[in-house]
Amino acid sequence: MRLEDFWHPVALSQSIEPRSSAGTRLLDQELVVWRDNSGVAHVWEDRCPHRGMKLSFGFVRGDHIACLYHGWQYNSGGRCQYIPAHPALDVPKTIKVPVYPAHERHGMIWTTLSENPATMPEHDEMVVPLRSLYLGCAFDAAVAALNSVRLAPFASQAQAETTVSGVNDTLVAVSCGQDRILAGVQAISKTRTALHLSLSGPAERYLGAGQNHFNEWALRLRHAAEHARAAYATPDQDVA
Amino acid sequence: MTHESARFVFKGSFRTKSFVEFAQHRAERLGLDLQFGQAGVEAIAVNVSGAVELVDAFEMACSLGPLDCFVLDVVRHGGDLAA
Repeated sequence: MRLEDFWHPVALSQSIEPRSSAGTRLLDQELVVWRDNSGVAHVWEDRCPHRGMKLSFGFVRGDHIACLYHGWQYNSGGRCQYIPAHPALDVPKTIKVPVYPAHERHGMIWTTLSENPATMPEHDEMVVPLRSLYLGCAFDAAVAALNSVRLAPFASQAQAETTVSGVNDTLVAVSCGQDRILAGVQAISKTRTALHLSLSGPAERYLGAGQNHFNEWALRLRHAAEHARAAYATPDQDVA
Repeated sequence: MTHESARFVFKGSFRTKSFVEFAQHRAERLGLDLQFGQAGVEAIAVNVSGAVELVDAFEMACSLGPLDCFVLDVVRHGGDLAA
């Protein structure tokens, strides 16, 4: 399968608060991730059809997002509902933003660019958000780094082996003793990758000290991934 | 909402296929009915109908045109206004 066919995480759920939006990129496609007042997450093309302004700079009002530039308002289906300069206009349904499917699993917001996406797995679990990590390396190098950086246990002090397993194509579980980190891998471009990291388990176990403990692991992971990047990407592929 | 039928003649320097595709795309996006009249390398005529605000938007979009065309003048024959 190609990367385009996968479901990718595009943000930690915690990072996108209700009534807020953020821009990201998936396989060089610019996306806006936004959450409406009722808490539902949306992933759209990050471009107002009017003048091309990024919708991620816009305002979320109720279940609408409005472009910063001229205030065109789009409903949760991506259809333009209101143009402030022409308040009486019945806006044609052809004025709409391309919308991608959005689901939340493992404390992350997931989407796919595929026109025929595989079914999103229903399985979910209780997690504590760790952080998102942006790497200057390709998707494969990020996955290789996940397989190479040893984890120190937090929940139990006993030494234990680090084991790595793929939950699916873009979700990797790194385990050590009682601890399990879920790493969602987002292919931003051929040379840039994001990891969205969650800790599997209850908040009372990991909030605070546990997050700090695994944050150090995350920084070592980034160093390992970027140190090995020459093996996975050529400089002329870099776009950002 | 007021509807309008208008006839535009875009004058300038055109790659006809490019401008026609551009105008079709903009009309489709704006929900307008579009019919082409004579289309040459120096002038292209189109008939458009729909909401008056969106006919105005169509004129604005096409007066800029695609990158490989150069619109020097737009002649608009407004018309048959119907509520």
